[in-house]
Amino acid sequence: MDPIVEALARAAGLHKALADFPDDVAAAAAQALDNAGAVKVPTDPAAEPWPPMRAGVGL
Amino acid sequence: MSEPHWLTASEASRAFAARQLSPVELLTALLGRIDALDPKLHAFIHLDADAAMEAARTATKEIAAGRIRGPLHGVPVGVKDIIDVAGLPTTGHSKILVNNIAAADAVVIQKLRQAGAIILGKLATHEFAIGGPSFDLPFPPARNPWNPDHHPGGSSSGSGAGVCAGLFPVALGTDTGGSVRNPASVCGIVGVKPTYGLVSRRGVFPLSYTLDHIGPLTRTVADTALMLDAIAGYDPDDPGSAPTQSRHFGRLLDRGVRDLRIGFVRHFHETDTPAHPEVTAALEDVARVLQAEGAEVRSVTLPALTEFAGINRVILCSEAWSIHAPWLRERPGDYGQLARRRLLPGAFMTAGDYVGAQRRRLQLIAAVEDVLRDVDVLLCASSMDPASRLDDPAETSRTYPRQARTPFNVTGHPALAMMAGLASNGLPVSVQFAGRYFDDATVLRVAAAYERATPWHKKRPPIG
Repeated sequence: MDPIVEALARAAGLHKALADFPDDVAAAAAQALDNAGAVKVPTDPAAEPWPPMRAGVGL
Repeated sequence: MSEPHWLTASEASRAFAARQLSPVELLTALLGRIDALDPKLHAFIHLDADAAMEAARTATKEIAAGRIRGPLHGVPVGVKDIIDVAGLPTTGHSKILVNNIAAADAVVIQKLRQAGAIILGKLATHEFAIGGPSFDLPFPPARNPWNPDHHPGGSSSGSGAGVCAGLFPVALGTDTGGSVRNPASVCGIVGVKPTYGLVSRRGVFPLSYTLDHIGPLTRTVADTALMLDAIAGYDPDDPGSAPTQSRHFGRLLDRGVRDLRIGFVRHFHETDTPAHPEVTAALEDVARVLQAEGAEVRSVTLPALTEFAGINRVILCSEAWSIHAPWLRERPGDYGQLARRRLLPGAFMTAGDYVGAQRRRLQLIAAVEDVLRDVDVLLCASSMDPASRLDDPAETSRTYPRQARTPFNVTGHPALAMMAGLASNGLPVSVQFAGRYFDDATVLRVAAAYERATPWHKKRPPIG
């Protein structure tokens, strides 16, 4: 397994999954990279996330 | 009355009022059908027959006394097994929660009981509404009544299979990336993901806070309206609930589509994710039918499906990881492999990935809103293929993401999927309509016009 993936998995507390399901952990890491890479993150710093913080709403 | 199991909720309600049928008689017929067919279909995880019969007796007495609570009074409802029903298991179809008993009703269940509906039992789902179809779980996967060798869609699998097979007239499902509309599409029924915030999520096991919706699966658009009338409404204890007064979702069903402008999102199924030819043909036929009914149908362009899908996955995986991380750390072996593989990616996504996806999400919402200023309703594909075989995981993995439902989880617009024909292999193909925020009634209006003009809602699966 890629040592970076292993280190990230341990940092996430996935010791048991690493021991018992290493293929699933490796597949998940690859999937995460693919997914994140598919998003065209706005270059405009003013582009806000959705949903927004709305003080007092929904409480 | 012959074949009461095929009565819609609306028809059953009229039969109750006319004293042609009682809730006890309807439930008795449905329990007989469940007994005969569910061993093949596996729609149920937990059938609550005794409590349902007790509720049916009460409803029968109330209706006989003229105390009719509304059109769902005495109507049995199936419930996806991530929605809490007090005293019944909420397992999420998972070993993780196999001994979990719900302490209270979810808000949608409270509302259905207030409307007089009868809670029939808990239904099969993909594990935690994400991992399936799977054979390594405590319960078998549900099967498609059109051909039990095939997938009934998911994740609200039992809801779709049971409504389709006449085990119950209506059901509740949940939809985070299309999980109400997928079973509706491949089982040949009607499923709606209402506007985000219209239906309370309280008491429903979450998958992704900003993408989760609760919605009904039914055999007709009119029944969808009845279910929305019952379950919609502001819930001050659900932070995502919208303070809207939306009601009477069936008020436009008879209006037809004359003068409505319908935007046909052809690029979803023509170039973004090229559909099975019979799906493409069915969608063009839907457009022709609606034009013949008086609508103006024009092509419109939205962002590409891959954009919506990528954002949906990053948000879903990130939010789901924050829910499942403790179990994934301590009990990874208690998940089925599919759920484990679909939930673990969240461990490898960064805060920047998540916020970046939410920022792009707002831009995609704006793009869809721009188009919905020029048209009243969107017409597009739901599933790009008929249902895959359950024993062919490679084919299921290939076809499952080939869909156009995630855009409306990302944006929160209301979206409905329904049958639009039968493919040459005898399995349903489908269409999807989406509309403006809190204008769910206009989406139902278009769906009802299409339903009236076509025979698909009268087709029955060759089972039982």
